[in-house]
Amino acid sequence: MKTSYRWLKDMVPGLVLPPKALAEHLALRGAPVEEITSPAAGLGDLVVGRVVTAERHPNADRLSLCTVDGGAGVVSVVCGAPNVKAGSWFPFAPVGAVLPGDFKIKKAKIRGEVSEGMLCSSKELGLGTEHDGILELFGDFVPGQSFVEAMGLSDATLDVEITANRGDLLSHVGVARELASEGEGRVVLAEIPGAIDFSPTFHRGTPEISHGDVSIRIEDTDLCSRYLGVVIRGVKVGPSPEWLQERLRGAGSRPISNVVDATNYILLELGQPLHAFDLNKLGGTSIVVRRAGASPGTFATLDGEKRKVAPDMLMICDAEHPVALAGVMGGLDSEVTNDTVDVLIECALFNPKSIRATRRALAMSTDASYRFERGVDPESMELALQRAVALILATAGGVVDGPVLDCHAVEFTAQTVSLRLSRIERLLGVAFDAAQTTELLTPLGFTVLSEEAGVLSVRVPGFRSYDVTREVDLIEEVARTYGYDRFPSDLGPFRPGTVPDHPLFQLEDDLRRALAARGLYEAQTPAFVPEGEGEVRVSNPLATTEPFIRSALLPSLVRRLEYNLARGNRDVRLFELGTSFRAMGKGEPPLEEPHVAAVMTGRREPAHWSGPVQPLGLWDLKGLLEHAVRQTFKGRGVVAPAEGDVAPYLSGSAFVVLDPGGDPVGAGGLMSPGAVDAPVWAGDVLAFEFRLPPEPGPSPVVVHEPLPQYPAVERDLALLVSTTVAAQSVLDLIRSSSGDLLERVDLFDVYEGEGVSEGRRSIAFRLRFRAPERTLKDKEVDRTITAVLGRLKEELGVEHRG
Amino acid sequence: MTDQNPIEALKALEVLALTAIADAPDADALEDVRVSFLGRKEGRISLILRDLGSMSPEERPAVGQEANRVKGVVCVALEARDLDFAGPGAAGGLDLTLPARGVWQGGLHPITQAVDEIWGIFRDLGFTRARGPEADTEWYNFEALNTPLDHPAADEQDTLYLVDSVLLRSHTSPVQMRTMEKYQPPIRILAPGWVYRRDTYDATHTPAFMQIEGLVIDEGITFVDFKATLAEFARRYWGPGTQTRFRPSFFPFTEPSAEVDVKRVITRPDGSTEETDWLEIMGAGMVDPAVLENAGYDSERYTGFAFGMGPARIAKLKHGVDDLRTFFENDVRFLAQFGS
Repeated sequence: MKTSYRWLKDMVPGLVLPPKALAEHLALRGAPVEEITSPAAGLGDLVVGRVVTAERHPNADRLSLCTVDGGAGVVSVVCGAPNVKAGSWFPFAPVGAVLPGDFKIKKAKIRGEVSEGMLCSSKELGLGTEHDGILELFGDFVPGQSFVEAMGLSDATLDVEITANRGDLLSHVGVARELASEGEGRVVLAEIPGAIDFSPTFHRGTPEISHGDVSIRIEDTDLCSRYLGVVIRGVKVGPSPEWLQERLRGAGSRPISNVVDATNYILLELGQPLHAFDLNKLGGTSIVVRRAGASPGTFATLDGEKRKVAPDMLMICDAEHPVALAGVMGGLDSEVTNDTVDVLIECALFNPKSIRATRRALAMSTDASYRFERGVDPESMELALQRAVALILATAGGVVDGPVLDCHAVEFTAQTVSLRLSRIERLLGVAFDAAQTTELLTPLGFTVLSEEAGVLSVRVPGFRSYDVTREVDLIEEVARTYGYDRFPSDLGPFRPGTVPDHPLFQLEDDLRRALAARGLYEAQTPAFVPEGEGEVRVSNPLATTEPFIRSALLPSLVRRLEYNLARGNRDVRLFELGTSFRAMGKGEPPLEEPHVAAVMTGRREPAHWSGPVQPLGLWDLKGLLEHAVRQTFKGRGVVAPAEGDVAPYLSGSAFVVLDPGGDPVGAGGLMSPGAVDAPVWAGDVLAFEFRLPPEPGPSPVVVHEPLPQYPAVERDLALLVSTTVAAQSVLDLIRSSSGDLLERVDLFDVYEGEGVSEGRRSIAFRLRFRAPERTLKDKEVDRTITAVLGRLKEELGVEHRG
Repeated sequence: MTDQNPIEALKALEVLALTAIADAPDADALEDVRVSFLGRKEGRISLILRDLGSMSPEERPAVGQEANRVKGVVCVALEARDLDFAGPGAAGGLDLTLPARGVWQGGLHPITQAVDEIWGIFRDLGFTRARGPEADTEWYNFEALNTPLDHPAADEQDTLYLVDSVLLRSHTSPVQMRTMEKYQPPIRILAPGWVYRRDTYDATHTPAFMQIEGLVIDEGITFVDFKATLAEFARRYWGPGTQTRFRPSFFPFTEPSAEVDVKRVITRPDGSTEETDWLEIMGAGMVDPAVLENAGYDSERYTGFAFGMGPARIAKLKHGVDDLRTFFENDVRFLAQFGS
């Protein structure tokens, strides 16, 4: 909320802190100041100028040729305003001055006459909307005196950040109360200059009250507990006096007209939203507070918008039609205008939830609705109305007609909350006695009614009735007023928790480090994707181009690869860990699965002068994928050649990932050219993505095997294998037919071409045999090899090449 | 040579060779040493190896083994000494200023690194990590956390909805309730994870970002423990001179609530020190009794505190990154700056 420093100072006698220190102080009370600005920002070059002569411009009917005394001699100025006249004072921008909007005043020739400066309107200075003429100043001035000083614009505006629970701080009196709790402990309301003593009588009635031909009735008392209305007749609508305009500007509010400014002043002073109706535009001069009811249609609010009204919205109506959106905005048809003579001032208390629902449904927020939503003080309504009337009478004239009509449907009762001293200590770790506690709570408006056996009975003032309803709310007030920084900060002993460290975090840690160690960089991409890349739609997306949340990470990761390629990064290796969202039954939350994905392109290793470097290829991908799968499934997952298309983005050469249960959980391989938007110079792009177990089990315990004591025998076998037989099946058969002595077998060469007939290839394996308890004899190994070769020929048609 | 025990002879040769290698003044002299000991024709070690054939089968394995050992030792010494003479211009030597054969570097995302560093500190303070779904219900995201949907506090995090009451969590606080439902106190958890808000993508906002939640619940946890734990974290993260400030604030699920600010001490290159401004790093507070009751805990018996912070913001401050979007561009030149 924008607050005027001067206004606060007037309310808190003895407040001496300068604006910056005040801001610091408020921050420590829970209301930090976002920025401090001056309403006169950018007006420093302006002076007060006196028009010495004003004559018609010789070459233009609508312009005047004036001479102006701006303190530094009399200069000639061409002016287009109709209200310029000799002997009057105006804000004057001499040559060289810079006005808001970085507008620099230069010496100019206008229609043949020299103009050395500018007389300004309030609009040009950002001080108001008046643009029919320049801003005439009334008072005793000296030509050339600072405009800011002369106008008393040297106020400071503090933009205070108010948390959602503290509706009571949305007013100067609220902020002042926080300051006064450490000052003289007293808040005073400024006297209204020129105010006529107004002591109204209140006519109470429920659910209807009337006086003369004016009546007020609350039909829906659940949404409006009280409605005060008073009639003032014979007002003269016009600009407010300067002191009032200045107050409003200091609080960041733009002056409009005396009647409207009066209601805004009270809103800013007491936080009580008021509304002024043009009484003669209310049908039957009556007010009815009710829900809009069936088929309500649209309603024109005073900002000129047509609002679509729903049946449950609370409306202020006259005898026939709605005249205001209750607590949100008045209607265009009953607006106070320059021709208004009689007004009805409303001061009402609306249900916060109802106001919130209405303004949300209409996607709007006003100063009034903002305060009603957060709770308006039910105990200061009379005061607010009284001050508003006094202000209108002082600034717009008129007479009060009749009593204040007080339609009081539901009485407000202040709450009493019990506060145990033992509980304060248990929560805050510091003991407070009854006297201390009372001292801390009283300046905030709380009343300690009694104390018995360590339990205080505390009355909550109306303006805190929304956020202080429980014991813990009062304990927070004790801590806040005492000062958070005064509590000790000693780290005591603690017990370990019962929650085990989630194993998926541990798997993610391991996987990240494994992939980074293999030369990949971790990427992070947001989950939002365009249509086609996700199964789950966001119902209120901000970017309509990305209304889905992703079911796979790869498309987002490929876009990051493309981004890198487009910036000339030729070697790109990225991985990501993230969540995949899968659509479940209608209305159900999506299924979330942890995924890992990687993309890479470029060279296998950095260039080196010793020789050429190969590009990354399918076998690099297979190796990386196997490594990731091993990490993930603790050596138990499988990477197998894919049969048929496993993923649309992969070319024919692809792999599937099978989890330990044999279920496919992902795929990898060479990306098909159409799947990546890459420059012509880019090489192959390789990628994989697979699902991680959501609750990974513990790693199996390693049971060590004694290292061999006896020598091994190695044999190389070059085999001629049909191209239709998979290397894996040859490998499997070698393993299964070699008996217990085979220690390991490695495929070390593949050859096709000259010397090998068409349709076949030569594959070479190295077999290592070893007996655990003795030295193997060559003959034993020869026998095994013969048997293996026999099986290979018989079952796979494999021949021994020698 | 045959009149001597060949193994003894080899040991003597080893000493001779190593001395000669060490004494060789240049690469040419070193080459002479090599030839005299290992030369194929006349090398003194080579000769013994050649003689193996004429030895008795009993003698042969032991001598062969020793000869190979000595040969190996001498080779290594020759190579090492050779490097002494290498260099640009050294005849026959290697130019060791040539670039090494590289390996690709990889690394963790800077935000992951921030999360890891924060987690490391809390792990030392006895915390474990917990998780919860990213798509959650209004109950867990708001109502269970004492935030009625019709209260203005629910507005402050503009929420993305999927269907009906299912939404993308707007903070990691739902993990509080999910953890309390599954486990009994003492609770001492940290919950890093993605959260989502209906924010425009700009220099200081991203619609998805990482958040780290913390929750401690036990008997006898007070405001003093709350302050002490977070102050301890700040000192460990930003250095011993770091000051912590707790300012009153409002979160529906904590009371009393606080914003936590830190003021760091920066050491300039000339050794002098400078204090930074107060920097807001997290929102926190004592767990609201309504939240404990919603979890089925006895709020008279148990108390606790909770906190939430944004590692991206912390990483941004730490590394001087001006624009949060840089973290999501994932330009490898940017990622490479954070090493591995």
